[in-house]
Amino acid sequence: MTGTSLRTYLITRLALVVPMVLILLTLVFLLMRVAPGNPIQAALGGHVPESVVKPIEHRLGFDKPLLTQYGDYLWDILRGNFGTTITDNRPLSQIIKQNGAATLELTFFAMLIAIVVGVVVGLVAGRYRDTWLDVGGRMFGIVVYATPPFFLGLLAQLVFGVWLGWLPTSDQASPLTQALLKTHTNILFVDAIWDGDWGALWDVTKHLILPATTLGLITAGVFVRLVRVNVIRTMRDDYIEAARARGIAERRVVFSHAFKNALVPVITVVGLNLALLLGGAVLTETTFNWPGIGHELVLYLENRDYAGVQGIIVVFALVVVAVSVIVDFINAYVDPRIRY
Amino acid sequence: MGKTRKRWLLFAVTVAAVAAAAGTAYGGGKTSKALPVIVDGTTGTVVNIDPANQYDYDSFTVDLNMYEGLYGFPNGAKLTPVLATGCSHSKNLKTWTCGLRKNVKFSDGTPMTSADVKYSFDRVQKIKGDQGIWTLLSDLVSTDAPSKYQVVFHLKDPFSIWPYILSTNAGYVVEKAKYPADKILANTDVKNLVGTGPYSLTKFTPGQQAVFTPNKYYWGAKPKNGGLIINYYTKSSTMKLALEQGNLDMAFQTFTPTEIAAMKKESALTVHSAPGVVIRYLVFNVKRPPYNNIHVRKAIAYLFPRQTIASRVYHGTVSPLYSMVPKGLPGANQAYKKLYGGKPNLAKAKAEMKKAHVKTPLKIQIWWTPSHYGDASADEYTEIQRALNASKLFKVTLKSSEWTQYSGALGKTYGAFQLGWFPDYPDADDYTVSFYQPKSFYNNGYANKTMNKLIANERAAGTNKARYAALGAMQNLAAKTLPTIPYWQGNMIAVGRSNVKGIDSTLDATYYMRFWLVSK
Repeated sequence: MTGTSLRTYLITRLALVVPMVLILLTLVFLLMRVAPGNPIQAALGGHVPESVVKPIEHRLGFDKPLLTQYGDYLWDILRGNFGTTITDNRPLSQIIKQNGAATLELTFFAMLIAIVVGVVVGLVAGRYRDTWLDVGGRMFGIVVYATPPFFLGLLAQLVFGVWLGWLPTSDQASPLTQALLKTHTNILFVDAIWDGDWGALWDVTKHLILPATTLGLITAGVFVRLVRVNVIRTMRDDYIEAARARGIAERRVVFSHAFKNALVPVITVVGLNLALLLGGAVLTETTFNWPGIGHELVLYLENRDYAGVQGIIVVFALVVVAVSVIVDFINAYVDPRIRY
Repeated sequence: MGKTRKRWLLFAVTVAAVAAAAGTAYGGGKTSKALPVIVDGTTGTVVNIDPANQYDYDSFTVDLNMYEGLYGFPNGAKLTPVLATGCSHSKNLKTWTCGLRKNVKFSDGTPMTSADVKYSFDRVQKIKGDQGIWTLLSDLVSTDAPSKYQVVFHLKDPFSIWPYILSTNAGYVVEKAKYPADKILANTDVKNLVGTGPYSLTKFTPGQQAVFTPNKYYWGAKPKNGGLIINYYTKSSTMKLALEQGNLDMAFQTFTPTEIAAMKKESALTVHSAPGVVIRYLVFNVKRPPYNNIHVRKAIAYLFPRQTIASRVYHGTVSPLYSMVPKGLPGANQAYKKLYGGKPNLAKAKAEMKKAHVKTPLKIQIWWTPSHYGDASADEYTEIQRALNASKLFKVTLKSSEWTQYSGALGKTYGAFQLGWFPDYPDADDYTVSFYQPKSFYNNGYANKTMNKLIANERAAGTNKARYAALGAMQNLAAKTLPTIPYWQGNMIAVGRSNVKGIDSTLDATYYMRFWLVSK
């Protein structure tokens, strides 16, 4: 304990967000500007005359001094205006709403898979320490964590899509399902339930399995190792010994006491791993043609659409900053030792 | 434990109840009986659907289903009247009068009249969209609608190819009541994005899907399918898998040469191919040393490895090209083949280098761009480097830069550089005037009085015979003066499941994918 109150901690933490976000926005802005070439000319195919390019540069403010551009950029972001893409004229707000929903759907189910797989394998490995179950669990954790998501995705496509033919290898749903499903939330899983279209729900679920598992397994690797270590540490604690000494059945000691306490740190790690999940989502979405924000980021990068790339990176960064702040708040609330 | 179980049970029951209620309220599971719908895959990106600001091939492929111009290519590579019954021109080719079909309706049931046609042209010129399609109408002074079914176009200069301009999306007719005069409609505004074409757009999800249903008011032959879905992919490998799994009926644009070669061996798929109109060419800045020396340019032309590029790099998915005008388009000739032969000729290259009075091997730089024209560009330019170096007449250094930098530099900075071309309209004019006029977009310093005269003759030609004669002379002169070396022409390739019919009927020199001809 350092003596500072929880309120002081929270205020300091929030105040630190401002420079953090400012540095981040500045870096994104500068990186986009130092890149060589003319993004407008490139986005329009290189065949259009200067007379066409100049008015667009003017409309987008690219002909203003750098400092003015920087000021406009910050002011726009402050007002929630993330701009419009150059190559297909899409407002970033539309991308956030539409593609963000697809990313949310994918990351939600990926996190669910990560927690279930990570916790179960971690608990088993920790409980049966130094047995073949433990070795297998550890190996599994290391392998899935170390494997790049696109490679894992390609393997999954090959095995379950091509060889076995069990699951679809791309998209959020079959083309016909997607065409017929009404859009309510942009999350197809929810939209299918909303419309009571069980055939569509089954189709959407089938399409979710491979990408969500691929993305979930990366994070599961972190959980496996964390849960395992916690279980081992908890099983050595005095209160476990005491419970055993009181004659409580081993099963109850393990499930009701050891496992419950071993899982507490996982809650905070779940939040912290969101950044890892978003990073993984870029590659997973591209591999499975999943129309999330990461998929769009790759698309705009390939098309050299600086406005699109800049907007999406800023959104990604703001989400990660927001989540890290929330996680810090929860940590500070749960653990009084965490203070500045 | 007991409490927790009860909570879970309660949660599960609640979820089930909500889901069931939602199912009842919205009519339960719906399935479509509309068959057969064709599902197509593409790696393209739609920029603008509204034709007033649409100037890229992927958006054009969408527009082709929904819109029509006064002229077009509905049945093949021959230009024919579509919404017009025909056009006549004044003697000086500056006034064009077109009669309109009387039975045409937009997909919302509103009849089309000359007011809509005039409005569409005025709108493109007023909006001057950032994609630059309005530049195709830069010769148009005004449009009149003297009667309900007649329009008159007044042009600045004689313009023999005006009907070709009428076939582009700069001339697509939109409904006056639906399209704002000074603003582009958003791609998702499907209620207002109506045209006279064989389909109407019913749903558009950017980057994901475009859904079309047959236009019940269509004046022409009905589509051979019950609708069309275009699914968008980022990677061709993912699209290939979707096609192999049967999630797609066909895929058009764009597989890698390796993927096409692999799919040719699959019994469930058929690879359809025909000569296309996409070309690649090397541009010389004719003012910059050593390329300002015509003999150096000629030596390179004699050594150019067209066959090796076509077979080794592209596995036969492209064909060697011997004129900027691709084979299949009326007026195309083989000017480069006549002058420099069908295959590399070392002896003649040596002779040219002797005339050039330069020390060999001559050190030269050639620029190319890595991703814009596909991954194969690297191999393509390695082949060119290998062929030129093997002659011992040149020592080639390859230089590359990304498209953002490359597209802004071209002739302003580079001496020899790679470019590609997809036409605004499928006619030889678009493959000649664009490249050989004095101030071309690539700034290569080429200016030739005879060429300028030929361009003027072609634009003012009163008959097709005279026009094609001028176009032929332009190609011959270009081969002789070498501002560019054309080297391949891409095939139009579509891959379909074996039960899909009609794909071959749409593969021709227009590069138009007429989905309404496809069935299963």
